[in-house]
Order: sequence, then C-alpha cells, then structure tokens
Amino acid sequence: MIEVRDLQKSYGDLIAVNRVSFSARPGTVFGLLGPNGAGKSTTISCISGLLKPTAGTIRVGGFDLAGDAVKAKSSLGIVPQELAIYEDLSARDNLAYWGAAYGLKGDGLKQRVDHVLNRIGLMDRAGDLPKQYSGGMKRRLNFGCGLVHEPAILLLDEPTVGVDPQSRERLFDLVREEKTKGTCVLYTTHYMEEAEKLCDELAIIDHGKIIAGGTLDELRAEFGGNDIIRLTGSFEASRVEPVIAGLNAGVLSLTPESLMITISEGARVLPAVLQAISATGADIRDTRLSEPNLESLFLKLTGKDLRA
Amino acid sequence: MRFIFVTVIKEMKRRFNDPGGLISAIMIPLAVGFLMATVMGGGGGQPSIKAQLLVTDLDDSFVSQGIISALGQDRITDMIMLQKVDHEAGQQRINEGDGSGHLIIPKGFGKAWLEREEVALQLTVNPSQSISPRLIREMLESLLDLGDYLHKVFGEELKIIARSLDGNELTGISTSVFSANIADKISGIADLVFPPAMTVEDITPQPETASVSFALLMFPGILVMAAFFAANGQSTNFWTEKEKGTLGRWVASPNAFFSFWIAQWFTAMLLTAVVAFPILLAGFLYLDIRFEKFFTALAWLALTGPILFSVLSLIQVLAPSKKAGGMISTLIMFPLLMVGGSFFPTETMPKFIATIAQYTPNGRLVEPMKGYFTGEYGASGMFIHVWGIMAVALVLVLLAGWISTRKALA
Ligand SMILES: Nc1ncnc2c1ncn2[C@@H]1O[C@H](COP(=O)(O)OP(=O)(O)OP(=O)(O)O)[C@@H](O)[C@H]1O
Ligand SMILES: [Mg+2]
Repeated sequence: MIEVRDLQKSYGDLIAVNRVSFSARPGTVFGLLGPNGAGKSTTISCISGLLKPTAGTIRVGGFDLAGDAVKAKSSLGIVPQELAIYEDLSARDNLAYWGAAYGLKGDGLKQRVDHVLNRIGLMDRAGDLPKQYSGGMKRRLNFGCGLVHEPAILLLDEPTVGVDPQSRERLFDLVREEKTKGTCVLYTTHYMEEAEKLCDELAIIDHGKIIAGGTLDELRAEFGGNDIIRLTGSFEASRVEPVIAGLNAGVLSLTPESLMITISEGARVLPAVLQAISATGADIRDTRLSEPNLESLFLKLTGKDLRA
Repeated sequence: MRFIFVTVIKEMKRRFNDPGGLISAIMIPLAVGFLMATVMGGGGGQPSIKAQLLVTDLDDSFVSQGIISALGQDRITDMIMLQKVDHEAGQQRINEGDGSGHLIIPKGFGKAWLEREEVALQLTVNPSQSISPRLIREMLESLLDLGDYLHKVFGEELKIIARSLDGNELTGISTSVFSANIADKISGIADLVFPPAMTVEDITPQPETASVSFALLMFPGILVMAAFFAANGQSTNFWTEKEKGTLGRWVASPNAFFSFWIAQWFTAMLLTAVVAFPILLAGFLYLDIRFEKFFTALAWLALTGPILFSVLSLIQVLAPSKKAGGMISTLIMFPLLMVGGSFFPTETMPKFIATIAQYTPNGRLVEPMKGYFTGEYGASGMFIHVWGIMAVALVLVLLAGWISTRKALA
C-alpha cells in the first residue's frame, strides 16, 4: 500500500505538488484525477523514487522510501506517462529484461512474459522491434513492462493515452486482474470515464493540491443527489441567470455557447427548464441530462472544465 | 550480480539488433588502415622502415672492422643499412636529419677493447626518428655483449694479440700454442657464438622485428581506433537511456545504480572484443603475424575498451545534454586519434607530437600493443602497461557513475 503524507515538490518558485496526502489500499484502484499540469506525474515520480521530494514522507509497502529505498522499490511497478522501453529490443526481450530487474528468472519469467504479451495483445509481434510498432502498440508494451514482475503496488501514469478503445479495454482488464490479486494500483488520468470505470477511490488534484477525495459515491454526494443539465447553443448571461435562480437550480458554468446547471429531479423538470430558458431568447441546439460525474464535480469544485 | 550479467546480454542484443554502430566501428578503422597501408606501400614482408647507420672508423683496427662487418651481417642488413662516411660528412648529415644515426669508432678503440680499458663508441642519433635509433642502439649493445663474451672465452689470447699490436713479435712457439688454443675453444663453442648475429637474435626474439613495416606500425593504432569507436558508442548509452526513459525504470527498480555502470563497463569490454575481432584477423593475415599472439592481443584489446569507455563516459555525464555530450566527445576523439597514432604511426610524427601522444589515453594504449607486435614486449610486458591505466579508468567510471546518479535524480 501507499501512504503519502504532506508531499511537496517545488521547482524553484513553482510548487508542483503542494502538501498532498492520501493513502491507497491493497486490492483497490486509487485514482488521481486532474487537468494538465496538476501535479499527477510529479506525485508519481516522487513515489517511484525518480524525484526527491522537497518535503513530506512516502511509505510504500510499509517501507519508508527515503530510508529503506531498496525494499520499498522492490514492491513497485511503474508505467510512466512517457514511453520507457528499449526500441531496439523485441517486446519479448523488453518484458523479460524488466522482469529480471525484479528478480524473476527461468520458467517463471517466461510464463509471465507470455501471459503479459497475450494481455497487451502483442503476442504475434513479440519478436519484432518496437521501432516498427505503432504508437499504441508501444504504449501497450510500456504498460506491460511495468507489471511483468507482478508488483504489489502498481503506479500507472495516464497509461492509455493514444490507445484504441478495444486495446484500452484489454488494458483495463489487466488492471482489474492485478487488483483482484490484491495489488494496490495508483492510476492517474484526466479521463473521467476511466476514473469512473476503474477507481474505487479518487483524489481530485489541481494546481498541486488535492481539492476533493473519497469514493465515487461520496464524491457524487457533493451534489446532494442533484442531476446535471448541459445545454449548448447561444445564451445571454444577464437574462439567463435570474431565470435559473427562479428555477431553484445552481449554475455550474455559463458561457455564451454553453450552460450547465444542477437541479433536483432533472428528468421531471427538464421541459420547464427548456421553456424558461428559451423564453430569454436563447437558442438551444443540444440538451443533455446526466447524473453527476467527475466532470461536473470538477467543474463545481474549480469552476474550470476538466477538458479545457 | 546476476542482473549485471543479464544487463550485459541485453546491451549486446541491442547493439546487434541495431548494428549500424558496430559496423561503422569495424569498417572505418579497416578502411583507414587499408588506405594508409596502400598509400604508404608495403604489406607484411616489405621492410619499408630501415635504419640508415652512418659509420666513421677512426680506429681502423681489426676490432673496428669486426664491428663494421658484424653490422653488415645478412640478418642485420634487413634492418640496418650501413654507410661508411668520414667524420664531418657524417655529423653534417645527421644534423640535417639524413640518416638514423652516426656511429664513430674512436681512434685506439680496438686496442683499448683488447686490453679491457674503458672506452666508448660514440653514437649520434637522429632525434626525429624513434624506432630506428632504438634498433641501432640495441644492435650495438648486443655487439658489445658479444665482445664481453669473447673476452671471457679468449681472454689470454686477446692479451697476446694486444701485445703484438704494441710491436712485440709473437714467437713461433707462442703462435702455434695460441692458434691451437683458439682452434680448440672455437670448436667447443662455435655453435654458441657463431654466427655473431645469434646474439642479436636473442634480444629480438620475434622475427617480425626484421620487417617493421609501415602497415605493422599502423596496425595497433587502427585497433585502438576501433576500440575507441566501440567505447564511444557505448558511452552515449547513458543519454539514450535517459531520454528513452529506461534509465528512469532502472532508477525506480531496486537495483543499485552503480551496477548500471558496471554493466556498461563490461559491455564496452565485450563490444570492443567483437569489433576488434575481424580487424585483428584481417591484420594478422595481411601482416603475417604469428597466430599464437591472436588471442592475447584480443584479450588485451578487450581491456582497452572499458578504459576508453571510462574516459568518454565521464565526458558524457559532465555534458549538459545528449547533443552536447556527442559533440564534445567527437571534438575530442578525432584529435586524440590523430595525435595518438591511429591515422599515422608515432614513428612518422614530429618528436613533440609523439611526446604528446604518450599522454593521450589511446596513445598510451597503442604503444604497448605495437611493442607486442614488433616483439619488443612479450605478453606480460604488454599487460603491465595496461593495469595502471585500468586503475585510473576504474576511478573515472565510478566518478561518472556518481555524477550520473545526481543527474538521474533531478
Ligand atoms: N522538470 C521540471 N522543471 C520545472 N517544472 C516542472 C518540471 N516538471 C514538471 N514541472 C511543472 O510541474 C507542474 C506539474 O507537472 P506534472 O507533470 O506533474 O503535471 P501532470 O498533472 O502530470 O500533467 P499532465 O496531465 O499534462 O501529464 C507543471 O506546472 C509543470 O510545468
Ligand atoms: Mg503527467
């Protein structure tokens, strides 16, 4: 398991990670969700021992990373955001090498390499050099290299960027498989769909700070059971705002092109909402009703769109 | 320990999967060697470097004539060309750099030698040459050794001869006794003493000495060039792995970072052996070097790889980026190769450059190997030259490892 306490990492004046604390339990996937530059990779690099924290403590598998580095590191598997594979070494050799780096050998190593090759869908290209792979194939190999040695703790830093939907599902399966075996997975992403699908617990990070945390349900409760209505079209703020207030709804975001509100019993009140807003002279081109998700939560917490 | 081994295998696989570096490390030195050997002429059998010895005989005794005729022996004329000159002409020619050395046999030398008085041959050598004067000096020393030996065997007879030179006539009896004595002794030791060139052979046990060709002088430089290329390729791997993120994976693994460097070091060793093998083979065949030297030479070359790797790695880890590291090491490598005897043998260089060569890492490595091929050193003589450098290299690579640890951990 991973325990991070008051982790801080500064680059000169820039505080990339600002007193971050969380803990992730074995057999669960802990998601770190945040926009570009939030500090996700920096946090992961500190936990992998690649960056020296400016302050704070990190315990990995019960060992202090600063004091007992070798023991702490031997329980880790990492899938960095940037590719970290040998392009002049076949997929099989890459996996075998990183397996050996954690003490695997002989038949055990070979079986594990075969298993991972199957799971990342590279079995039929196992002997080829990654130089000849597509971007997504390299990503999948990068993914495999991090978990070939069946680590007790797996750090995944946006591992699915650029991977096609089918391959992505297979990687998710692999993550779930590891989780079922009792692995503690730390998963960073800025895709809410991924976080919602995979993560048991989440922390939302922005500007180096954790701004919310808990299980998916706990986070949803922030909305008090309200639904989200998202409209696109053209809106005039000064006329729309009073109308929304009158509907007993909350504004999540309002731009000339889009409007997002929270409201209870969304499905029942939707026609009335549309009518009231149309009456302001707004031109509504698209309507979507949904349960609160991470996107809306992020919006509520930061006033920023996660995708921006 | 096991992981270091696995890493070396992995590195070798990478080099063979992307063999561009290996091939150029083999082909460039071969091409340079072939070109230079062709331009300068002369393969294995062609002695193209010959010492030219000017001799002035001021003594004109049978002893001095003996020296001159000994130097005119068949086996010696392969290496030394003799030319009799008068004193002034000889000195002038040496001063002008024409000839390898000027030997002056002073007046009274013969008599003094017979009576075992202190006397010296005077030798002036051409400072711009290095191999030829060495050859001449060794030849003369061995002649004087032979002279000592003659004294031990023929001591009595030589004294009689000396007396006769003073004008004391030899009586008939003593002459016959003298002759009989000499005849006895000669028949007893003839096998040992004659031909006199045998002594020369003792100090030059390898027949290659007799044909120190330009190509042979080039050869060690070519081999060290190949080792240099192999080592240089491997030294850039630190940056490649840093950029490709695999260095990060290593740092995140529980393996000690120094073992990364030890693995690189051994890879440089193996890689150099791989690169040196075909060049060594080509050279041995072309130059007709005794094959029993092959594996010793290969082993020795394999040691030069890590030495050069250590120097280059230190440059790489001190550089601020991969690009800078590559540029600096290329900027350093070519002048070093030039000065260190890889494009021209040091024997053909002006003296001051040849002196600088001794202080370059590759130049230091070229000379012992040359000595081994020309027969100046045996295998152990060659290896002795490498241990000290190896110790320095180990310190350098540990230093590189230490610096890179700080670099890998931002
Ligand atoms: N080596 C560095 N030197 C200076 N600043 C850095 C360095 N690495 C990261 N930063 C800064 O630290 C902050 C956090 O970066 P980080 O890579 O952790 O973000 P992230 O959450 O992983 O973003 P992304 O989703 O784009 O991967 C950013 O503001 C970034 O500019
Ligand atoms: Mg990142």
